[in-house]
Amino acid sequence: MAKQQKEVRDLGEGGYVLIDDAACKIDSYSTAKPGKHGSAKARIEARGVFDGKRRSLSQPVDAKIWVPIINRKQGQIVSVDGNDMQVMDLETYETITMRIPEDVDASPDDNIEYLEMEGQRKIV
Amino acid sequence: MYPGATADRTEANFVVVGAPLDASTTFAPGTRFGPRRIRHFSETFDDYDHRTDRRFTDCSVHDAGDVHAWDAVDEYLEFLEGTLRDVHWDDAVPLLLGGEHTVSAAGAGAVDPDVFVCLDAHLDLRSEYDGNPLSHACVTRRILDPDDYDDAPDIDVQEAIILGARTGSEEEWQWASENDVTVVPPDEAAEFVPQLEDRLEGREAYLSVDIDGADPAYAPGTGTMEPFGLEPRTMRDVVRAVAPYATGFDAVEVNDRDDGQAASLAGKLLREFVFSRVDALE
Repeated sequence: MAKQQKEVRDLGEGGYVLIDDAACKIDSYSTAKPGKHGSAKARIEARGVFDGKRRSLSQPVDAKIWVPIINRKQGQIVSVDGNDMQVMDLETYETITMRIPEDVDASPDDNIEYLEMEGQRKIV
Repeated sequence: MYPGATADRTEANFVVVGAPLDASTTFAPGTRFGPRRIRHFSETFDDYDHRTDRRFTDCSVHDAGDVHAWDAVDEYLEFLEGTLRDVHWDDAVPLLLGGEHTVSAAGAGAVDPDVFVCLDAHLDLRSEYDGNPLSHACVTRRILDPDDYDDAPDIDVQEAIILGARTGSEEEWQWASENDVTVVPPDEAAEFVPQLEDRLEGREAYLSVDIDGADPAYAPGTGTMEPFGLEPRTMRDVVRAVAPYATGFDAVEVNDRDDGQAASLAGKLLREFVFSRVDALE
């Protein structure tokens, strides 16, 4: 999986993080102040980018953490067939088959934007 | 560690979290010592509970320690709420040790109950106190009325039942009468207990024990003593009645200005909560 290492303190709301090996988008980020004897700790609440599942983690702010590298791509719908659609990547002109999400009204020639990581895709 | 809280975090049914917040206490301070006092004065309690024929150490309680409190109360409540939400997401019941009553906003925010049940001398329905909307005198209002404060917990609590309340400002009594608040005075609390079951059937409750709900003769170690309060036995019966419906619990407003009476009562009510809750589940 394409990923890079960061410190917890470098993360923020709207960014991505790997929790339990799942790529998640950060919904909220809060930090605890350390006092004299503790170490500052951050708590992250996030949602799986591809499975929508809520996850959280609490770590010291200087802990190392993996951040997934997710590509944001542009595509054009070529054709629609039942629950599936053919989408042409507008950068590589490669055509891929994607399942149409329930909340998306897909029709040919529409331009879409989607996130891609290791064969998983999500329309944004 | 809370005595007998020997379970692993991952397997626990209950997780003790201390929240030694002591920022807005309006008369006598000292709630920063509350979690420590409650743990200490719980050391004398027997592991075995005769009424339920259970051992506390078999009830799967974990102690996650304290969330160190700092001065920015809004930030602190946000972090504390998240810590307690992790417990709730793990299908465990948070047992929050205050700290001033303000921490209940984080507790209720974490579990988003239908009903907020509270043992308290005070209505705590002020919009603000001394200009502070996060004062401990405002906590029930914060939980019940999110529209009144920008950073209120994002929850939908339908009503509050405040048992043992015997004082509040004129505006608070007025607000209580106009909103979904049931105020049960100390004299009527014992006979109200059987009704609690009907009121809570099929709903989720959060139970907050403000130790000043007790008569100050029984629990003098609290910041704002208010005479003519509840008998400890009545508080125990309320805890037993609410526990089966509760997804969160706290014991708050205990300070270090007595010989341990307040902390002992809070610790015992926590144990009653755990035994009654486990008994109801099985």
